[in-house]
Amino acid sequence: MTTNSAASPTGPRLVIGIDLGTTNSLAAIRAGKGTRVLRDRDGEPLIPSVVCFHPDGRTLVGRAAKALRLEYPTRTVFSVKRLIGRSAREVAAETTVLPYQVVAGERGLARVQIGERQLSPEAISALVLQEVKATAEKALGQPVRHAVVTVPAWFDDAQRQATKDAAALAGLDCLRILNEPTAAALAYGIDGSKDGTVLVYDLGGGTFDVSILRIDDGVFRVLSTAGDTHLGGDDFDDLVAQRIFAALPASQAPGQAADQANDPYVLQAVRSAAEGLKIRLSEATSAELQLDLNGTGDRGTVRLTITRAEFEAAISPLVQRTLDCVQRAIKDAGLRLDEIDEVVLVGGSTRVPMVRARIEALTGKPPQTSVDPDLAVALGASIQADVLAGNDRSLLLLDVIPLSLGIETLGGAVQKLILRNSTIPTSVTEEFSTGVDNQTAVDLAIYQGERELAADCRLLGNFKLRGIPPMPAGLPRIAVTFLVDADGVLRVTAREQRTGAEAGIQIVPSFGLSRDEVKRMMLESIEFAQQDYLAREAIEVRNKAAAMVRGTEKAMQMAELPPDQTYPVQKALKALGKLMAANAETAVLKAACEDLTKVTSSIADDVISSAVTKALREEQQR
Amino acid sequence: MIHVPAPDPFTVFGLPRTLDVDEKALEARYLRLSRECHPDLHRSADTGDCVAVLQRSAEINDAWKILRDPWQRARALMELLSPGVLDRNKKLDPAFLGEALELAEEVAFADQTAAGNLRVRLQAAITLDWTAVGKALGAGDFDAAAMCFHASHYHRKALQDLDRKS
Repeated sequence: MTTNSAASPTGPRLVIGIDLGTTNSLAAIRAGKGTRVLRDRDGEPLIPSVVCFHPDGRTLVGRAAKALRLEYPTRTVFSVKRLIGRSAREVAAETTVLPYQVVAGERGLARVQIGERQLSPEAISALVLQEVKATAEKALGQPVRHAVVTVPAWFDDAQRQATKDAAALAGLDCLRILNEPTAAALAYGIDGSKDGTVLVYDLGGGTFDVSILRIDDGVFRVLSTAGDTHLGGDDFDDLVAQRIFAALPASQAPGQAADQANDPYVLQAVRSAAEGLKIRLSEATSAELQLDLNGTGDRGTVRLTITRAEFEAAISPLVQRTLDCVQRAIKDAGLRLDEIDEVVLVGGSTRVPMVRARIEALTGKPPQTSVDPDLAVALGASIQADVLAGNDRSLLLLDVIPLSLGIETLGGAVQKLILRNSTIPTSVTEEFSTGVDNQTAVDLAIYQGERELAADCRLLGNFKLRGIPPMPAGLPRIAVTFLVDADGVLRVTAREQRTGAEAGIQIVPSFGLSRDEVKRMMLESIEFAQQDYLAREAIEVRNKAAAMVRGTEKAMQMAELPPDQTYPVQKALKALGKLMAANAETAVLKAACEDLTKVTSSIADDVISSAVTKALREEQQR
Repeated sequence: MIHVPAPDPFTVFGLPRTLDVDEKALEARYLRLSRECHPDLHRSADTGDCVAVLQRSAEINDAWKILRDPWQRARALMELLSPGVLDRNKKLDPAFLGEALELAEEVAFADQTAAGNLRVRLQAAITLDWTAVGKALGAGDFDAAAMCFHASHYHRKALQDLDRKS
């Protein structure tokens, strides 16, 4: 075995773990017994989950995109995880105001409107995943095709499926959708000395999850999970942002509130300032803000001091909501508070001192600090990736489904088929029949949620059983098996018991993308990749042409040659300048650059060529 | 809609059909079976195998859910030994039903002290029910076992309601 392959995982496949976060994303790998996060060239592991669709046609992802969020607030998309697998109406019902535009696309699904283009949250997440993939490939020095991608435990089926689709669009085969708190528990308990009952409290940028696990000799068993897909650090930011809005200068204050809300620049500036204040309040007991809003117009400045006590009073109800979830999870696990052995905190928002204090007060245990709250999820995902790659057979993860699955019965009630917190895989078989003579199809509506009425649950999809042999009503006996696989994804199969005929099932997803859409988008993403490449090339060629013009002009002055000798150069130079002024196409510009290069070298004067080279070098270094 | 029973949990776990089980041993068995059959550890198997592994893994999880809960286990055992026995013995003594109603009322109005006493009483009643079910099953009297099972339901429900109140 060479040194090279010993340094990389030696399993049949290279599988990375990806934490696709609301705020930041990152990848990790497990090689042998060690796990490590994959960093970019600057040693930075966190990639901001931000995508900027630059007006010049480029698409920027990560830090480059985040840097542009004030400059292009309506074209810079962040927190897209809040939109994935959801309808525009659901997103609009939220309090968070986004500087970019969310519209209702096909079937009412949330879409992001950038100029003329409408993009699905899946496509935007795919861009973030592509960046993570590229960073991982650079760090590993080899291509990456397979990944385990994490989601909040409380994500429903549609959100999970949408995340899987995003991975596919990014060119990744997603071997598993893994729950974030479970991943964190893996990272915590991997050293093998942590047998016992662990509570993972995961408060991220946009979601809150709590999971209770039992670790027994390498088997990680989730006993229960609870959470809130719309509670996180972003909500803390919102509360601080409200304070800033209230303190805006009179010309910007109420009455003009609508204008402010519509001013993406102000929105983004206030949001960023609020986030900064929140972070400073984790260290200091008060923080001062001086915000200049005159970036692109006369909007005045804001001055404001906020104390930690004020901040804590504002977020207290939200923190209480998380504690209610914790208690529900403990109850669902059939445990008492004092039966929890360890508390593990994950997610950047657990840095808020009040969050730590309140969870400690509730559980009576100082939280574990042995895992980095920002990296734990990705590291845990890489451990599960290693198991799925077939490299580690000592470890086993038994997870649960977070929400009950049921079917609609007569009168709009939901009959639960699989209860929440059931260990997966799990299955149940029910028998159905027909209500009308010679009926050949039966419709089933599958719902996800804990409420009794279908109207209060989330429609997962409509299943149509077809191909039932024509028989008198009530005679066919169709056994329908609902199986939730290890990904937490529902599979439905049906068989007519008398004839043994397999009934075909057509699934119509109510959220997320249909299979055809995913296929189409994969083709489109290749097309967009082409567009992105062309846009970048155009910019590069233009820059090169400008440098050549400046450099050649400088060289001509320095060389002081007779006009007849420099005539071809002057001509080519003039032509190139004209084309640039006329915004000529990339290919034309490229050709003109080549012409210029030819004539400068054809006059073959050492003086000129050396002068040109020297001047060009200077120009390019600028 | 009729429920279609999965393979019985005792068979899935390879256990004798008995009411009482060693809970520690049961849990250890569950973990061992999971290791043997979980799809995560059998990913290289071909597709046909994968479905079988997935099904077997689901059976183990579903059987574990029943076996680890004493009363769910009792129900499964009775249905296995005498199919339909629970449905056939649903009619309870009117006197007992009166008692059950009184119990529900007591739970609804219990203050903290009363609740404490009531809890102890209910737990004792449930233990007695369990012994009675075991005895009847041992004697092969499935009807009597089923009746004890149904009677116990009211005690368990009362305890549940009491816990929910606090």
